Amino acid sequence: MTAPATTTPRGTAAMTATDDAPAISLTDVHKVFPASGGQSVAALERIGLDVRPGAFVSLLGPSGCGKSTLLRIIADLTAPTTGTVTVGGRSAREARLARDYGLVFQQAGLLDWRTVRRNVELPLQVGGVSRAERKAQAETMLDLVRLGDVADRFPWQLSGGMQQRVAIARALACRPQLLLMDEPLGALDEMTREYLQGELLRIWRDTGTTVVFVTHSVSEAVFLSTDIVIMSPRPGRITRRIEVGLPQPRTVEDRTSPAYFETVTEVRKALHAVMAEEPA
Amino acid sequence: MGSGIGAAALRTARAFLWTALVLLALAALWEGYKALGDATGGRIPGTGLDLPIAADDQAMPHIADIIGALTEPARRGTDTSLAVYLFNEATITFREALLGLAIGSAAGLLLAVGLRESRFASRGVMPWLIASQTVPLVAVAPMVVIWGGKAGMPSWVAVTVLSAYLAFFPVTVSVLRGLNSPQPVHRELMHALAAGRVRTLLLLRFPAALPFLFAGLRLAATASVVGAIVGELSAGTGGGIGRAILTSSYYYSSAPENLYAAVLVAAVTGIVLVQVLRVGESLSLRNRSTAG
Repeated sequence: MTAPATTTPRGTAAMTATDDAPAISLTDVHKVFPASGGQSVAALERIGLDVRPGAFVSLLGPSGCGKSTLLRIIADLTAPTTGTVTVGGRSAREARLARDYGLVFQQAGLLDWRTVRRNVELPLQVGGVSRAERKAQAETMLDLVRLGDVADRFPWQLSGGMQQRVAIARALACRPQLLLMDEPLGALDEMTREYLQGELLRIWRDTGTTVVFVTHSVSEAVFLSTDIVIMSPRPGRITRRIEVGLPQPRTVEDRTSPAYFETVTEVRKALHAVMAEEPA
Repeated sequence: MGSGIGAAALRTARAFLWTALVLLALAALWEGYKALGDATGGRIPGTGLDLPIAADDQAMPHIADIIGALTEPARRGTDTSLAVYLFNEATITFREALLGLAIGSAAGLLLAVGLRESRFASRGVMPWLIASQTVPLVAVAPMVVIWGGKAGMPSWVAVTVLSAYLAFFPVTVSVLRGLNSPQPVHRELMHALAAGRVRTLLLLRFPAALPFLFAGLRLAATASVVGAIVGELSAGTGGGIGRAILTSSYYYSSAPENLYAAVLVAAVTGIVLVQVLRVGESLSLRNRSTAG
């Protein structure tokens, strides 16, 4: 079920039963950050990763393992030092310029002065979509995240969980093939978090979008993902890739199933192996 | 909706009440100080020392006299009261200051955008802007007046230029801060959306800078009135509250309350301008969480 992704970057278990081009492909990506005193820090080393279209891939690891940096490289917010990145068959830069992906951060990052609907319209407005089309599309996406009734409110009138749903609707506004999420539920309380995990799975199924999801929560990664990529810190590397065999569509009951706990245990062990190599 | 307007009216009423209370307290302080001076013969009680400011009617006219002076004729042989005369002069100053504020703010806004978008501008121009504000206005004013006069302009043009000269700087500084105020998450969002400089400016930086703009405008409004008054003092011709202050200071020894009345009206002119902006601000920012 698992394969060390660094040694066989392509054609691993994740690529089962499909000969589609990968949604994301990283080959031998390195990232070095300059540090003080002329030193440099290797943030990512020898990263090879393929993500098949429609997959829900979680990047899981302790802080400092470079999972956010990896996501930012896919999003073309940070350039890799060496290595190639393709997103939907084009370079990461071309994909960004074509608005091929939607992005969700831990902070909702909504614009205070715009209503919820106009926040969702923002990517379409940047893309030059007409006013009427923008409005219609934004309303569709707000219905998708079940926030159609607060379209005319302002972000600061909403709870944190609702704000994050607006951020998801905004990320989906251009109907991207890919959704990149950097700990999007990290700032929310446990109840809201579990509710939004279920919502996220539903949205993922409804839209058929490929998702790359950064998290440091084992249970979240197992419940949500089709594939979990485990990373180790200093330098950030992919140490294991685990395919989650839980049936789809997943429900709340799956959180208590034996298969769920087995996977959680497997992922925990893999993570502990990482931490054993690198004492805190 | 009705309750919102009601609440706003209540807030306004409360604000007026507080203003009135503060004014009353200041008047009481003024008159109390005078009464103290009268009682002790201008000494600090228990000591032989003089009061820091003489409390006689020459240095500090009674408030009743200042208000009374407003109802007296402005000059011997005219029917116009001092209040009407000062109001007319203040209208001239208000117009000059308003125009100066508008021109200065527009220039300040453009400068802020230039400073934000061009590294060259921020390195090369900023020191000059700061220098422009350290040069004393009383030194600049006669120059501008002379240039304007040589070019055959009416005196209000020079006055407006001086008003704008003082008004642009607070707008530039505030708006520059505002344009740089969006958080990294917002800047990265715009970058991820492949928004160029212009769109980032229009959709993110300008709206984010709006509260900062109003903070700058409030400073600029008072500065524009000061600029207009100093300009009027230097102009030598033309009207305005600055001229009225100059005239009444000539006759200070015979009618000290006239100068106080003129200064009072000048202050009110500034306050009116700031309050007009306040209305604009609360309308523009009514949907912000940080409004007010």
